[in-house]
Amino acid sequence: MLRINVSERPQWKTLAKELGFHFHTIDGEPYWKEDAYYQFTLEQIEQEIEAPTEALHEMCMALVDKVCHSNALMQRLAIPEHMWDIIHHSWRSGQPPLYGRMDFAYSGNGPAKLLELNYDTPTSLYEAGFFQWVWLEQAIEQGILPRHADQYNSIQERLLNAMAHLGDRLENRTLYFSCVKGSDEERATVSYLQDIALQAGLQAPFIYIEDIGIAPGVEHFVDLDDHPITALFKLYPWEEMAVEAFGEAVTQLNTHWFEPPWKAVLSNKGILPLLWEEYEGHPNLLPAYFEKNSHSPLEAGWVRKPFFSREGSNISLITPSGQQESVGGPYTDNPWIRQAYHPLPRFGDKHALIGSWVVGDRACGMGIREDVGRITKDTSCFIPHAIL
Amino acid sequence: MEKQIHPTHLPRRKRSARLSLAMMGASAFGLTACTQPAEDEHLTDVRFDEPKSYQGVEECVAANVYTRSACEDAYEASLESVPRFDTLEACEAEHGEGACAAPTDEQAQAAGGGSWFMPAMMGYMVGNMLANTSRGRSFERVYQEPVYRNRQNQGNWNAAASQASQRVNQRNEALRSSVVQNRQATTRRGLGTRSASWGS
Repeated sequence: MLRINVSERPQWKTLAKELGFHFHTIDGEPYWKEDAYYQFTLEQIEQEIEAPTEALHEMCMALVDKVCHSNALMQRLAIPEHMWDIIHHSWRSGQPPLYGRMDFAYSGNGPAKLLELNYDTPTSLYEAGFFQWVWLEQAIEQGILPRHADQYNSIQERLLNAMAHLGDRLENRTLYFSCVKGSDEERATVSYLQDIALQAGLQAPFIYIEDIGIAPGVEHFVDLDDHPITALFKLYPWEEMAVEAFGEAVTQLNTHWFEPPWKAVLSNKGILPLLWEEYEGHPNLLPAYFEKNSHSPLEAGWVRKPFFSREGSNISLITPSGQQESVGGPYTDNPWIRQAYHPLPRFGDKHALIGSWVVGDRACGMGIREDVGRITKDTSCFIPHAIL
Repeated sequence: MEKQIHPTHLPRRKRSARLSLAMMGASAFGLTACTQPAEDEHLTDVRFDEPKSYQGVEECVAANVYTRSACEDAYEASLESVPRFDTLEACEAEHGEGACAAPTDEQAQAAGGGSWFMPAMMGYMVGNMLANTSRGRSFERVYQEPVYRNRQNQGNWNAAASQASQRVNQRNEALRSSVVQNRQATTRRGLGTRSASWGS
């Protein structure tokens, strides 16, 4: 794994605009960067990213099964009791997932270590699945990379296959797509998924989460015309839905969800200590524990994370040599875990984090984020990768 | 020889051979932006004024309520909604003997051609609808209804106009009650209430 400086494609910003990538720069700061790329060998990709991703995914599925059959484990994950049935039912009836992302600390030497799962509302999908792929094709075409350069990336192709497969099972081949108002990045991610759904032959209408309604006598949530929403993709987390005004309705109405309710088990950092309990010593796992007393100080070599947190929020860490770092945020009212500190590899002043994508049950691609800090945040840049 | 056609050392590829976007590209992106208000917007209340009946476009224009183009558009739309039949017999079975005719050349032209039979159109009815939407917009729209000959009105203009007026009322009432139902019965904003961004 190397970080190689290269020249940018001269017209990439124009191209980004044409291809709907409007958030390549966020608040004046670059988000997509292509003045460098990360280089991997095929062996690194296949043996140290792809294979562990599939193995960990299987372990996670086995653990979901266990949690779904145990009220005690549901309790340890702080999942509200009124959600237990729908989670259990969605798992037992085999409701299919669409996608997820594992975040790894991997330096090119030694096993990749799982930092967390983003299995409910993962983003950076468009940039990993599409724009990164276009970058590689054009970089080869423009002589920036040699002809034999490759990339670990069949994310969009897998999503297309998954959606085509789903389409045959959805009423009227219709899947609604949804996110909250006010986030361009999330709206673009959802647009991208709608785009893939259209290519897979689905009807893919959009509705904002806030506009979803309940109508008396209708067995599904309804859209703005009061038409039933039989199936809905939501870029919105289960733990929020559970405690909102419609939280009870979610458990009673027949709307079919993507991601399915059982993803609530995995989109919860409490899954990390449970994985460690179940598979202690696994080379791709880091020691992790439920925090018993949130007031006891964090010891050197540990990271503290809330059960529910996104984009690095509310995470604090102390390296073995005592350096501290933390990111503030809104997620203060839920339980915490502690995970052994494992450094992200450093290239110059940048720390790199690997996001390894799973579509259905297949590992199928990768995106890399980098940050000067040790904690990857929503502002961390996206850097493309190549196999050479 | 065979080796050239089926190379044994095909490079292992880890990336897809081709990808495309259906709607996120530049032109299609504009299209999405255009259709968005319709998806996002619904009627919150609606009012109708009393429709007036006219025996033709010229009478509509002369009444000086609507512009010529509004009168013409309403006529065409009315013509569109007159029931059509493949044969004269089928039309007369429904609407009464002598009530039906092939469209005039002018009518056929206005409807974009074709051959059919329909109850003879005696005129049409035009009214105004005023609506407010969930996004705080209000708009005005013309509505219309054909006045045609059938078994009950026997070609009597006043009776035919009064039947057309009943059809208009029924239709408007249905729309009004669906708007009221929409406003009163459906609950929204039960999800997504904590303002934040959720991707990770």
